[in-house]
Amino acid sequence: MPAIRNQIRELRARREMTQQELADRVGVTRQTVIAIEQDKYSPSLETAFKVAGVLGVPLEQCFQYDPRGKR
Amino acid sequence: MATSLSYREKTLYASLAAELVVYGPYFFLHRQNSVDKVAGMIVAIIVLQIILQSLIAALTRNRVTDERDRLIELRGYRAGYLALASLMVIGLGMLWFHATVGHLRLDNRMAGLHFLSVFFGMLVIADITKTATQIAAYRKAL
Repeated sequence: MPAIRNQIRELRARREMTQQELADRVGVTRQTVIAIEQDKYSPSLETAFKVAGVLGVPLEQCFQYDPRGKR
Repeated sequence: MATSLSYREKTLYASLAAELVVYGPYFFLHRQNSVDKVAGMIVAIIVLQIILQSLIAALTRNRVTDERDRLIELRGYRAGYLALASLMVIGLGMLWFHATVGHLRLDNRMAGLHFLSVFFGMLVIADITKTATQIAAYRKAL
Protein backbone atom coordinates (compact mmCIF):
# COMPACT_ATOMS: atom_id res chain seq x y z
CA MET A 1 0.00 0.00 0.00
CA PRO A 2 1.47 3.40 -0.96
CA ALA A 3 2.52 5.87 1.75
CA ILE A 4 0.42 8.66 0.28
CA ARG A 5 -3.11 7.85 -0.79
CA ASN A 6 -5.79 10.12 -2.14
CA GLN A 7 -9.51 10.48 -2.77
CA ILE A 8 -9.19 12.58 -5.91
CA ARG A 9 -11.16 10.23 -8.13
CA GLU A 10 -14.16 10.19 -5.75
CA LEU A 11 -14.04 13.94 -5.11
CA ARG A 12 -13.73 14.65 -8.81
CA ALA A 13 -16.62 12.34 -9.68
CA ARG A 14 -18.80 14.03 -7.05
CA ARG A 15 -18.19 17.35 -8.81
CA GLU A 16 -18.65 15.78 -12.27
CA MET A 17 -15.24 17.05 -13.24
CA THR A 18 -13.16 15.27 -15.90
CA GLN A 19 -9.49 14.45 -15.49
CA GLN A 20 -8.67 16.96 -18.22
CA GLU A 21 -10.64 19.73 -16.49
CA LEU A 22 -8.85 19.09 -13.20
CA ALA A 23 -5.49 18.94 -14.99
CA ASP A 24 -6.11 22.23 -16.79
CA ARG A 25 -7.12 24.01 -13.59
CA VAL A 26 -4.18 22.66 -11.62
CA GLY A 27 -1.67 23.21 -14.44
CA VAL A 28 -0.54 19.62 -14.97
CA THR A 29 -1.06 17.06 -17.72
CA ARG A 30 -4.00 14.64 -17.75
CA GLN A 31 -1.47 11.81 -17.52
CA THR A 32 -0.22 13.24 -14.22
CA VAL A 33 -3.77 13.35 -12.83
CA ILE A 34 -4.18 9.69 -13.89
CA ALA A 35 -0.87 8.77 -12.21
CA ILE A 36 -1.90 10.54 -8.98
CA GLU A 37 -5.33 8.88 -8.94
CA GLN A 38 -3.72 5.47 -9.42
CA ASP A 39 -1.26 6.17 -6.57
CA LYS A 40 1.62 5.94 -9.03
CA TYR A 41 2.85 9.46 -8.35
CA SER A 42 2.92 11.60 -5.21
CA PRO A 43 2.62 15.25 -6.25
CA SER A 44 4.62 18.12 -4.79
CA LEU A 45 3.11 19.98 -1.85
CA GLU A 46 2.26 22.91 -4.12
CA THR A 47 0.38 20.71 -6.60
CA ALA A 48 -1.37 18.89 -3.75
CA PHE A 49 -2.63 22.21 -2.36
CA LYS A 50 -3.77 23.26 -5.84
CA VAL A 51 -5.68 19.99 -6.34
CA ALA A 52 -7.38 20.34 -2.96
CA GLY A 53 -8.20 23.99 -3.74
CA VAL A 54 -9.74 23.15 -7.11
CA LEU A 55 -11.78 20.33 -5.54
CA GLY A 56 -12.79 22.69 -2.72
CA VAL A 57 -11.72 20.50 0.19
CA PRO A 58 -9.00 20.70 2.85
CA LEU A 59 -5.71 19.02 1.93
CA GLU A 60 -6.15 16.22 4.47
CA GLN A 61 -9.48 15.27 2.94
CA CYS A 62 -7.80 14.91 -0.42
CA PHE A 63 -4.51 13.26 0.58
CA GLN A 64 -3.69 10.93 3.48
CA TYR A 65 -0.29 9.81 4.70
CA ASP A 66 0.24 6.28 5.97
CA PRO A 67 3.63 5.94 7.71
CA ARG A 68 3.48 2.14 7.28
CA GLY A 69 3.01 2.45 3.54
CA LYS A 70 5.89 1.89 1.14
CA ARG A 71 7.41 4.38 -1.28
CA MET B 1 -9.12 3.57 -18.54
CA ALA B 2 -7.49 4.92 -21.67
CA THR B 3 -4.12 6.54 -21.00
CA SER B 4 -3.09 8.44 -24.10
CA LEU B 5 0.47 9.63 -24.43
CA SER B 6 1.44 13.08 -23.23
CA TYR B 7 3.39 15.48 -25.43
CA ARG B 8 6.66 14.61 -23.64
CA GLU B 9 6.07 10.87 -24.05
CA LYS B 10 5.45 11.27 -27.77
CA THR B 11 8.69 13.23 -28.18
CA LEU B 12 10.57 10.51 -26.27
CA TYR B 13 9.22 7.71 -28.47
CA ALA B 14 10.15 9.77 -31.55
CA SER B 15 13.67 10.35 -30.18
CA LEU B 16 14.15 6.66 -29.46
CA ALA B 17 12.90 5.71 -32.93
CA ALA B 18 15.23 8.25 -34.57
CA GLU B 19 18.20 7.03 -32.52
CA LEU B 20 17.55 3.38 -33.39
CA VAL B 21 16.97 4.11 -37.08
CA VAL B 22 20.13 6.21 -37.46
CA TYR B 23 22.56 4.59 -35.03
CA GLY B 24 21.43 0.97 -35.44
CA PRO B 25 22.58 0.48 -39.04
CA TYR B 26 25.84 2.34 -38.35
CA PHE B 27 26.90 0.25 -35.40
CA PHE B 28 25.58 -3.09 -36.60
CA LEU B 29 26.20 -2.93 -40.36
CA HIS B 30 29.26 -0.74 -40.93
CA ARG B 31 32.52 -2.48 -41.80
CA GLN B 32 35.00 0.38 -41.62
CA ASN B 33 35.38 3.38 -39.32
CA SER B 34 35.34 6.74 -41.03
CA VAL B 35 34.98 10.37 -39.96
CA ASP B 36 32.61 10.98 -42.87
CA LYS B 37 30.20 8.29 -41.68
CA VAL B 38 30.17 9.64 -38.13
CA ALA B 39 29.61 13.18 -39.43
CA GLY B 40 26.84 11.93 -41.73
CA MET B 41 25.20 10.16 -38.83
CA ILE B 42 25.25 13.32 -36.69
CA VAL B 43 23.66 15.33 -39.50
CA ALA B 44 21.07 12.57 -40.09
CA ILE B 45 20.02 12.40 -36.42
CA ILE B 46 19.70 16.20 -36.20
CA VAL B 47 17.58 16.42 -39.38
CA LEU B 48 15.39 13.45 -38.39
CA GLN B 49 14.87 14.81 -34.87
CA ILE B 50 13.87 18.24 -36.20
CA ILE B 51 11.35 16.69 -38.61
CA LEU B 52 9.83 14.31 -36.03
CA GLN B 53 9.69 16.86 -33.19
CA SER B 54 8.14 19.47 -35.50
CA LEU B 55 5.50 16.96 -36.63
CA ILE B 56 4.64 16.03 -33.04
CA ALA B 57 4.48 19.69 -31.99
CA ALA B 58 2.19 20.46 -34.94
CA LEU B 59 -0.10 17.49 -34.29
CA THR B 60 -0.33 17.83 -30.48
CA ARG B 61 -2.80 20.39 -29.22
CA ASN B 62 -1.91 20.23 -25.54
CA ARG B 63 1.83 20.75 -25.07
CA VAL B 64 1.78 21.25 -21.30
CA THR B 65 4.69 19.87 -19.29
CA ASP B 66 4.65 19.65 -15.52
CA GLU B 67 6.61 18.62 -12.40
CA ARG B 68 6.27 14.90 -13.17
CA ASP B 69 7.78 15.44 -16.62
CA ARG B 70 10.70 17.33 -15.06
CA LEU B 71 11.25 14.61 -12.44
CA ILE B 72 11.25 11.91 -15.10
CA GLU B 73 13.62 13.97 -17.23
CA LEU B 74 16.07 14.22 -14.33
CA ARG B 75 15.88 10.47 -13.69
CA GLY B 76 16.66 9.85 -17.34
CA TYR B 77 19.70 12.14 -17.22
CA ARG B 78 20.93 10.40 -14.08
CA ALA B 79 20.66 6.97 -15.75
CA GLY B 80 22.36 8.32 -18.88
CA TYR B 81 25.19 9.83 -16.86
CA LEU B 82 25.74 6.58 -14.93
CA ALA B 83 25.82 4.62 -18.20
CA LEU B 84 28.28 7.08 -19.76
CA ALA B 85 30.56 7.16 -16.71
CA SER B 86 30.58 3.34 -16.49
CA LEU B 87 31.32 2.93 -20.18
CA MET B 88 34.09 5.53 -20.03
CA VAL B 89 35.79 3.70 -17.16
CA ILE B 90 35.49 0.37 -19.01
CA GLY B 91 36.65 1.94 -22.29
CA LEU B 92 39.66 3.68 -20.77
CA GLY B 93 40.55 0.50 -18.89
CA MET B 94 40.46 -1.53 -22.12
CA LEU B 95 42.52 1.13 -23.89
CA TRP B 96 45.14 0.98 -21.15
CA PHE B 97 45.13 -2.84 -21.24
CA HIS B 98 45.47 -3.17 -25.02
CA ALA B 99 48.13 -0.45 -25.20
CA THR B 100 50.06 -2.10 -22.36
CA VAL B 101 50.09 -5.61 -23.84
CA GLY B 102 50.92 -4.23 -27.29
CA HIS B 103 47.70 -5.14 -29.16
CA LEU B 104 47.19 -1.53 -30.08
CA ARG B 105 49.50 1.09 -31.48
CA LEU B 106 48.33 4.54 -30.54
CA ASP B 107 50.41 6.37 -33.14
CA ASN B 108 48.54 5.41 -36.30
CA ARG B 109 45.50 6.98 -37.97
CA MET B 110 43.23 3.91 -37.73
CA ALA B 111 43.60 3.86 -33.96
CA GLY B 112 42.24 7.41 -33.85
CA LEU B 113 39.25 6.46 -35.99
CA HIS B 114 38.67 3.38 -33.86
CA PHE B 115 38.58 5.49 -30.69
CA LEU B 116 36.28 8.01 -32.34
CA SER B 117 33.84 5.22 -33.16
CA VAL B 118 34.07 3.59 -29.72
CA PHE B 119 33.60 6.82 -27.77
CA PHE B 120 30.81 7.94 -30.07
CA GLY B 121 29.20 4.56 -29.42
CA MET B 122 29.41 5.22 -25.69
CA LEU B 123 27.63 8.54 -26.12
CA VAL B 124 24.95 6.85 -28.21
CA ILE B 125 24.39 4.08 -25.65
CA ALA B 126 24.18 6.66 -22.85
CA ASP B 127 21.66 8.70 -24.84
CA ILE B 128 19.52 5.63 -25.61
CA THR B 129 19.71 4.65 -21.91
CA LYS B 130 18.48 8.12 -20.94
CA THR B 131 15.55 8.02 -23.38
CA ALA B 132 14.58 4.42 -22.54
CA THR B 133 14.71 5.18 -18.79
CA GLN B 134 12.40 8.15 -19.26
CA ILE B 135 9.94 6.09 -21.30
CA ALA B 136 9.96 3.35 -18.65
CA ALA B 137 9.48 5.91 -15.85
CA TYR B 138 6.23 7.11 -17.45
CA ARG B 139 4.87 3.56 -17.21
CA LYS B 140 5.73 2.78 -13.60
CA ALA B 141 5.10 4.34 -10.19
CA LEU B 142 7.49 7.12 -9.14
